[in-house]
Amino acid sequence: MRRAAAIAVVLLALAAPAVRAQERHGRPWQELTPEEQWRAWENYQRYQRLPEQRQKELLQRHQQFREMPPQERERLRQNYHTYQRFDPRQRQEFLEKYHRWKGRK
Amino acid sequence: MRCQRARKWMTAAVDGELSPRRRRALDGHLAACAACRRELAVTERMLTALEGLPMEAAVSPRLEQATLRRVRLAAADEAERAPASRWRRWLPLPAFALATAAVLVLAIGIVRRTGEVPGAPAVRPAPKGDARGVAQAPPSLPRRFAKAPPAEPPAKLAEAPDLFVDMSIIRNLDKLTHFEAIQTTTLDDEPATPDGQEPPSNG
Repeated sequence: MRRAAAIAVVLLALAAPAVRAQERHGRPWQELTPEEQWRAWENYQRYQRLPEQRQKELLQRHQQFREMPPQERERLRQNYHTYQRFDPRQRQEFLEKYHRWKGRK
Repeated sequence: MRCQRARKWMTAAVDGELSPRRRRALDGHLAACAACRRELAVTERMLTALEGLPMEAAVSPRLEQATLRRVRLAAADEAERAPASRWRRWLPLPAFALATAAVLVLAIGIVRRTGEVPGAPAVRPAPKGDARGVAQAPPSLPRRFAKAPPAEPPAKLAEAPDLFVDMSIIRNLDKLTHFEAIQTTTLDDEPATPDGQEPPSNG
């Protein structure tokens, strides 16, 4: 019994860094769908061409996004899908509203 | 304003997230600084590309598969047709001439390979351009089909792939976080003060 408990503790200790790493960075590359791998690869190449300051800002925002609760992240995804479905006129209107809203903040 | 500060504000400026007062200060700096103008142009181009990408990715898997299938069929068809058309061109020649040509080709090939004839010119490898022409996908193919992600991604990509998957969301974090409030903002009332000091009246 004691031996089994000791093995379980050792296994947990070994698995913990991997779990922490996944929490910190998200899914490993192999777990992405082919579609996501395409998108990640294209975005990565564009990211590499950005000035360093811009890269840092995106990393900061990513950190902010990762720290959000899962429901909040899901809400943002839904909002992004809604935005994607906007036609050009709706997008323009949204951006105008955004600037107006931003100006009032 | 110094270049360092101007560059710090550029992403926000491109995303329309800069307050009007800061935007004016940045514009003032840009009017006088060509280097920062160039940097802003690069940032705009790259960030616009980042935003544009998911629209491409919104193609349904069914359509993508169908397109890939058509591309493969077209490539196979082309490969089959090329040798056939070459044969057709030679067929009208008499059999004797064809046999002679074949023997000559074989003989030259053997001599060159074994190097039995002194002073025979070395066989030059095909120019790189030719090899590329065979290996690369036709230029008419969409870019996303022509260049696949590597099997082993670079370290940075492998370390945090979700950062790059969600790049468009991350870029527009502010807009998406306040999406509902922005949508309920009205445009027909009096405009906000340019320096952004007016307190929020809605949203």
